Amino acid sequence: MCGLVRAAKLTLSREASGSGAFSKGDVILVDSQHTPSLLLMREMGLNEQDVARRQYIVGLEATDLERIAGVRSLITEHVEEYASVFFDYLAALEEGRAVTGNRPVAERARQLKREHLVAMVGEQYGTGYVAQRLELALLYNKAGLELRVFLAAFHHLLKAIGGALLDHFETDPRRAFDTFMSLKKVAFFDIGVTVDAMVFERERVIRQQQAAIRELSTPVLQIRDRLLLLPIIGIIDTHRARLITEGLLRAIRANRAKVAVMDVTGVATIDSRVANHLIQTVTAAKLMGASVIVTGLSAEVAQSLVALGIDLTKLNTVGDLQGGMEEAEALVGYRVTSTDKRRGPAASDDASS
Amino acid sequence: MPSEISVPIEREHDIVTARQAGRELAAALGFSSTDQTLLATAISEIARNIVTYAGKGTIAVGRVDRDGRAGVVVIARDDGPGITDIELAMRDGYSTGKSLGVGLPGTRRLVDEFELVSAPGAGTTVTLKKWLR
Amino acid sequence: MSVPILKQGDVLIASIQAALSDRDLVELRDEIAGRIGRLRARGVIIDLTALDVLDSFATRTIRDIACTARLRGARSVVVGIQPDVAFAMVQLGLSLDGVATALDLEEGLALLGTRQGSRAVGN
Repeated sequence: MCGLVRAAKLTLSREASGSGAFSKGDVILVDSQHTPSLLLMREMGLNEQDVARRQYIVGLEATDLERIAGVRSLITEHVEEYASVFFDYLAALEEGRAVTGNRPVAERARQLKREHLVAMVGEQYGTGYVAQRLELALLYNKAGLELRVFLAAFHHLLKAIGGALLDHFETDPRRAFDTFMSLKKVAFFDIGVTVDAMVFERERVIRQQQAAIRELSTPVLQIRDRLLLLPIIGIIDTHRARLITEGLLRAIRANRAKVAVMDVTGVATIDSRVANHLIQTVTAAKLMGASVIVTGLSAEVAQSLVALGIDLTKLNTVGDLQGGMEEAEALVGYRVTSTDKRRGPAASDDASS
Repeated sequence: MPSEISVPIEREHDIVTARQAGRELAAALGFSSTDQTLLATAISEIARNIVTYAGKGTIAVGRVDRDGRAGVVVIARDDGPGITDIELAMRDGYSTGKSLGVGLPGTRRLVDEFELVSAPGAGTTVTLKKWLR
Repeated sequence: MSVPILKQGDVLIASIQAALSDRDLVELRDEIAGRIGRLRARGVIIDLTALDVLDSFATRTIRDIACTARLRGARSVVVGIQPDVAFAMVQLGLSLDGVATALDLEEGLALLGTRQGSRAVGN
């Protein structure tokens, strides 16, 4: 990955020159074989700090590492067995076939599982370990393995390990229990990472759709010469407010608009935050010589905003869209006349504003 | 692509040099035109503070990366008199004189991360970061 | 004089090309004040089209110039603020309250040309 290499080099030169312009955790240096999982790590914000935090949350301590070290060979010598426990359980479930029924997936998963088991008792649970977990999580996700199935199989595996520990510490069940609990801390650390990753991936599509919707929903329409209409629907958060403002300002320049009508009838919540966003939009437009009329602000909302200390005069509000349009047209210099066909050409109203 | 650039700030003219450097780096990294202007404006504000209050200082502009995102870091340093009451200076609307109007709190709104270290007689260091969306 | 000042009818047009220093701006202000008197100008257009940044200092100075013009009996209009610049200004909390603004030179002249209050933006 180009980006990774460049960033890595930059970090090294920063440390060498000692200029200290970067803070810890800014760049992750891990081997390039696990690229998709690394990318995912970055997107999820799984840096050294976050990993350390996760270890803290499950309560992983030095005593746990000691206990795990004590039974390392017990696990590593039976890796194949334990991997089988996991996959046999999956195979027995219809839902598990998502993984076991697909040969290349099954083989890859098995390989990763073996590595997982070894790493689980390896006492290194940093970013490299997490990257490994993510690789497996990505595989499960791609294969369509459901979370509840994964959890069940994993639990079954833990149960088998627990049994082995009891046998091993035959005369000291307390020790077996404590050791098992230490291992479970790691297991729950793993589950935390894996579940977060799987959920993150699932939500990726939703996030993409949300972004697309946001972009589409800030239209600026030129409905008359030098007159713009912005019908705003939905939620206005900081990001959207910025999109709206940028869109409006560019349209003012492109259309040489003198007036813009911003209709907020469709905006769900208008609190002081949103009102301030709107005021900023209006102020910016004014700097470009355009006046903005805000329509669609109900009397109740207007009252509550005033009660909150918002200066509504800055917003030049008009109750409804029609009224706003009329005022806008007047500002631009239009004179609206209506011709009533029913009454014949002799009787046409001259409704100039 | 330009790497870190350090601009000595001594005269008014240097304010423009510094903000241009910031703009160019941001442009090279792919920042939108709007974000480039926000960054350049922020640099202009802190550079002017150096000229007005400290007389002399430096502004370093460089690239920074975190969690897969690229960004610009700006470090403004001076050995001026320092800010006596930082909390007060950071309060919106506060002004010590005719020159410092929206300065610090306003500048903070233009960027994603803002850090200020200052003490009377010990100079001031302002660190700004802006991340690519 | 680093800022070119043109005259169109009884309106002065100052096109600011690049970020000006303290001294340049003071010079500009004084020059405008002088010309308003000498040439009996009734309007001043300050064209900021070429500026890519308007920080708090520049904004204050522009307000200053507009104020000076007003004291001399001339109306001023600031024109040409670009979308990005306008956005940055409101983020920073700057305003040109009390100073008329228009999109560009053409609009600025139109604004000064008419005496109708309803057309005025910001004044």
